[in-house]
Amino acid sequence: MNALSNMLSHASRIGVIARHAFTQLVRMKVFYFLAFFAVILIASNFFSLPQHVGPESEGVRVLRNIKSWSLGAMTLFALVISVVSTALLLPKDVEDRTLYTILAKPVPRLDYLAGKLLGVLLLVFVSLALMDLLMTGALQLRTNMILTEQVALAESRGWPAQDIAILREEILSHGPTASLQGAVFSVFLRASIIASLALLISTFSSSTLFTTNISFLIYFIGHFQADARSVFTGGGDGTGDGLLIRGASLLFSLAIPDFQLFNVIDAVIEGQVMPLAILLKLTLVALFYFVFYVLASWFVFAKKEF
Amino acid sequence: MTQGKRYMVLAAAVLAMGAVRMPFEKGLDNDLRASGLLPPRLEVRTSDRIGQTFFAVSLGGMRTLVATIWNLRAFGFFNEQKWEDIEECYDLIVDLAPRTRYYWDTGSWHQAYNEASYYLYDSTLPALRRKQAWKDSILSGRAFLERGIRNNPGDSVLWERLGYLLSDSNKISAFGDPAKAYQESYDAYMTAVEMGNSRALTSRFALYSLARVPGREKEALAMARRLHAEQNANTATMLSLLYTLGYHEDPAQPVDKLIDSVFPSREKAYEILTGLWERTRDRYPVYGVAQAITFLESELKVPPAESVLKRELLPPMSPEDYFRQEE
Repeated sequence: MNALSNMLSHASRIGVIARHAFTQLVRMKVFYFLAFFAVILIASNFFSLPQHVGPESEGVRVLRNIKSWSLGAMTLFALVISVVSTALLLPKDVEDRTLYTILAKPVPRLDYLAGKLLGVLLLVFVSLALMDLLMTGALQLRTNMILTEQVALAESRGWPAQDIAILREEILSHGPTASLQGAVFSVFLRASIIASLALLISTFSSSTLFTTNISFLIYFIGHFQADARSVFTGGGDGTGDGLLIRGASLLFSLAIPDFQLFNVIDAVIEGQVMPLAILLKLTLVALFYFVFYVLASWFVFAKKEF
Repeated sequence: MTQGKRYMVLAAAVLAMGAVRMPFEKGLDNDLRASGLLPPRLEVRTSDRIGQTFFAVSLGGMRTLVATIWNLRAFGFFNEQKWEDIEECYDLIVDLAPRTRYYWDTGSWHQAYNEASYYLYDSTLPALRRKQAWKDSILSGRAFLERGIRNNPGDSVLWERLGYLLSDSNKISAFGDPAKAYQESYDAYMTAVEMGNSRALTSRFALYSLARVPGREKEALAMARRLHAEQNANTATMLSLLYTLGYHEDPAQPVDKLIDSVFPSREKAYEILTGLWERTRDRYPVYGVAQAITFLESELKVPPAESVLKRELLPPMSPEDYFRQEE
C-alpha cells in the first residue's frame, strides 16, 4: 500500500513539473512555427516542378510532395524543439532561481528531471499532433480531388472497371493512411530520444549552446551508426579493416544511438505500408533509450552542486 | 564518489547499454531493410556525388526531397541534352529513393527512348558511332529498368514497362534476335499479369508479344480466344490475330467462313487486314492475310489495279538499314 502511494506521489510530482515545463515552453511562443508549417504545406500543394509526368501520374506526384515536405518539416521542427527546449530547461531554472526553490522542497531530483523531460515531450507531441492534423486534412482534401479527377479521366478513356479499381487503390495508398500516422509517431520517437540525450548532456554541460551543438552533432552522426556497426561486424565494406578502425567503429556504435532506424518515414512517403509490429519495436527502442538517458541524467544530477 | 569517477562510471554504463541494445538494433535494422522500409545503405560513391547534401540526406524524410531536387536537375540536363549527366543523375536519384517507381521508369525512358532517338538523328556523328550510341542507350535503358525491377520485384508496372520496351518496333533490333526479345517481352508482361494487380490491357500486350514468337502460334491462339471472350476485346490487333492464328491452325479451312466468324463485317475485315498487311514493321504474323485480301477485294469490287497486294511494302523498320543509308 505504501509502495503504491509512494508511486502515485512520484507520478503526481512528475505530472505537476511536466505541466509547468509545458506551460513555460508554450509561453515562449514556440507555436509560431505552425504558421511556417502551414505555409510549407500550402506551398507543397502547388509546387509544380518541371519534370516528366503523364496525366496519370500527376496526382500521385502531388500527394507525394505534400507528404515529403510535411514530414521533412515535422522532422526538423521536432528536432529543433526537442533539443533547444531541453537545453534551455536547466539553465533557465538556474537563472530564474526556480531550481533552488524546487530542490529545497522534498522533490527527488529524478522526479524533477523526468517531469521536465516529459514537459518537453508533451510540447513535441502536441506540436506534431497539430502539424499532423494540418497535413492529414490537406492530404485528405487533395486525395479526394485527385481521385475524382483521375477516375473521371480513366472513365472518359473507357478504362475497364478492374483498371479503375487499381488506379483508385494506387491513389488511396498515397493519401492519409494508418502508416502515415505511424510515420509521424516515429518522428516523435526519434525526437524523444534526442530530447532525453540532450537532457543527459545538459546535466554536465556548462552552457545551453554546448548542449545544443553536441546534441545536433550526435543526431547527425547517429544516422551513420548502422554503418559503423556494419564495419565492426564485418558485414559492410569494412571487411579487412585494421584493428584500430574496427575498435573505433565498435566504440562509435556502442555510444551513439541508431537514428537511421527511424527513417522508415521515407518508405511511407513512397506509399509503403508500415506494419504495426515494426512500430512497436521502434517504440521499444525509443523507450529503452528514454529510460536509460533519464537514469543516467539522474546519476550525474543527483550529486550536482548549485 | 568524485565527479571524475562519476563520469567514468557513466561512460562505462553508456558502453554497456550499447552492448545490450546492439543485437536488437542489428536485427531490427535487417528486418527493416529486408521489408524495404529502409533503403540500401548509401554507398561512399553516393556521398561523394552529393557532397554537402549528405547530411541532409541522413535526415528522415529528406531523402525523397533531395531526390525530387535531383530529378529537377535531371530535367535541366534533358533540356540541354546532356545524356551522360542524366544517367548519373538517375543513378543517384534511385540510390536515394529506390522504391519510387517514377524514377526508375523515367530514368529508363530517358535512356532507351530520348537518348536513343537523339543519336538516331545526330548528324554530327559518323553513322557507325551513331549506331553504336543508339544501341548502347537502348541497352542501358533496359538495364536500368531491370535494376529497378530487382529493387522492386513486386511492382507490376515496371514489368509492364520492360515488356513494352522489349516489343517496341523501333527498338527491337537493338536487342539482337527479335524472336528472343518478343519471348522476353511476353515473359515480362506475364509476370506483371501473374501479380494480380495489373491492368486488363497488360494481358493483351502479352498476347501481342507471344503471337510474334515463331512456333508458339497455337498457344497464342488459345490465349487470344480466352482474352477475347473474357474481356470482350475487339481491338483491331486482337481481331487480326484471331484471324491469322486461326488460319495458321487450319490453312485448309474456307477463308470466307473464318472472316465471318472473326470480324463484325467484311468491310471491317478488309480495313483491319489491309492495315495489318501494311504494318510490316510491327512483325505480326500474316498467315492467310493475302488470301483474305484477295477474297475481300473480289467481294467488295476493289479494282485489281488498286489492290493492296500490289503496293510496295516497306521492310520492317530497322535502324541497321537507316544507318547504312546515311553512310
